[in-house]
Amino acid sequence: MDCRETQTLLTAFHDGELPAADRARVEGHLRGCPECGARLADLARVDRAAGVPDPGPAYWDRFNARVMDRVEREADGPGVAVLRPKGGWMRQQFRYLVPAAAAAALVVVVVRYGGMHPVAPTPAVPPAVSEPAAPDSGGQRAAQPEPKTPATERREPAAVARRVPEESNRVAETPAEGHGWPGAGTGRDTPGSAVPAPLPAVADERLVTAARGERDRLPDRPLSEAKERTSRDRAAAGPRPVASMDGMAGTVQGEQKKMAEAAAPAAEPQYAAKAESSSGMRMTMDKSAEAPTAVSLGKTREKGGSSPVASAPSRADSPCELARTLAARKRWREAEAAQRACLAQDPSAPAQEKGLVFLAELLDRQARFADADAVITEVDRQFPQSRPLDLYRQQRPMVQMQPAAVPVTR
Amino acid sequence: MSADLDGEKDERLAALAAGGDRGAFEALVTRHRQAVYRLCWSAAGSAADADDAAQETFVRVYRSLPSYDPARPFGPWLRKIAWNCGLSVRRDGIAGVPRVAEGDAPEAVDPAPGPEEAASGNEERRRVTDAMAGLPAELRMVMVLRAVEGLSYAEIALAAGIPAGTVMSRLSRARTRLLAALGGGS
Repeated sequence: MDCRETQTLLTAFHDGELPAADRARVEGHLRGCPECGARLADLARVDRAAGVPDPGPAYWDRFNARVMDRVEREADGPGVAVLRPKGGWMRQQFRYLVPAAAAAALVVVVVRYGGMHPVAPTPAVPPAVSEPAAPDSGGQRAAQPEPKTPATERREPAAVARRVPEESNRVAETPAEGHGWPGAGTGRDTPGSAVPAPLPAVADERLVTAARGERDRLPDRPLSEAKERTSRDRAAAGPRPVASMDGMAGTVQGEQKKMAEAAAPAAEPQYAAKAESSSGMRMTMDKSAEAPTAVSLGKTREKGGSSPVASAPSRADSPCELARTLAARKRWREAEAAQRACLAQDPSAPAQEKGLVFLAELLDRQARFADADAVITEVDRQFPQSRPLDLYRQQRPMVQMQPAAVPVTR
Repeated sequence: MSADLDGEKDERLAALAAGGDRGAFEALVTRHRQAVYRLCWSAAGSAADADDAAQETFVRVYRSLPSYDPARPFGPWLRKIAWNCGLSVRRDGIAGVPRVAEGDAPEAVDPAPGPEEAASGNEERRRVTDAMAGLPAELRMVMVLRAVEGLSYAEIALAAGIPAGTVMSRLSRARTRLLAALGGGS
């Protein structure tokens, strides 16, 4: 072994990373070569001197407090809805649904085991509007629900849990988006995904709030609790296809019905088939791959399954469509990437204007507010007095308050 | 860090923190803050940016804990976040990473050598430290992870997302530059 070869291996030798055979060869050379020996000594010298200036004990004394202060504000303020203390506001929002769900579950049990044929809805549940079942698992669940065995209940969250780290452990730059906990808002794991009957809009806001609260509770808790909750929801939903909304179990609709009945019926025209984000971008679910309802983050409404989303030809290859679909599934980071591709693909002014606003919303939902600010500034620069931006600005505080859920756009 | 958490593995602490245990989260902060700071420094290239990035790293970790899989090692995951935060701060400055509010701005960190170094008059170390700051970030990263953190090539490769062979070549280049700064080596 000559000096040239030795020096190519010297770094690894110094670091103890050479295989034994090479190590022996280098050692042999070093015994007879003072020059390479000096080079090795230099490496050790550099390593001893290399370092990072330590900011000192006073800095470290304050470090934890500063981190924890930010973390506390993340949990309590306009940050991402993760790790909130149990019993927080979201749980309080849904206290009233517990007795409703329990009552509905009791009704289901009576219907099922009392020899009654489950043809008509339970009194608390509004009539389900059937929709042709899509050839997907969600649709099959909706049309032909199977009683869940405990084993089935266990498998599904486990499968989700396995999926999670592949995405999230890669780079955790984002909030707890896209972790795919069961029931975390998409409704995919909820049986009975038929389109709900129209409800007056006055009650709608309350219902959406309720639905959002129910959905948000799951990521707010450990996986095991989320799994248990999902199991309870399924049990409460019963074996019959009942309408659901925004991932809520069918039994919750008893509560919806009551609220709907108490509300003024004047808002029927507003009950349009739209599922929009706060930036005005329709977020769609790929109906070939998901449950048979279009699922939005805030409000999902379709009239008899005849929405433009449902009838439009498949454009699954379009990054723009992909971005909306991913956004509807709360996979914000991936949606952002798709949306950026969409913007690169279509340079037309209208597409850029709306697309950039949507991109800003996706960034806001990842709590990347500064990045969103930069995008908004860019929209302002390119499109002075942009209408989509104005609309989004009105909604933005709500988005930032609740990155995990899209407020209703009316 | 409470005594009962001292012996817990990182992954266990992360799982506890994901369940809402703030004590477990702070234990993780205490355990890893210096390594995170050093890595952020190596990515960002300055003490002030390293401070921002280190703070941001733990906030991002906190946000992401619910999706962290305790079956996977915590260290590489954390280092990846720290490195990305450091790069973000370096690349985008204040705009790249949401900073804390003005009133809570981190205190200035003295980039000068600490009292120990000043007292010992370790000029050589100071020169290397300055040279480290002047290295390209990718070289600085491997150097810090190896010479300061003592990670193996495989661990560095995992943290940096590069092949182990690249780790070795980068280390070699980094050391050559640092040696030049010391006025020695070839």
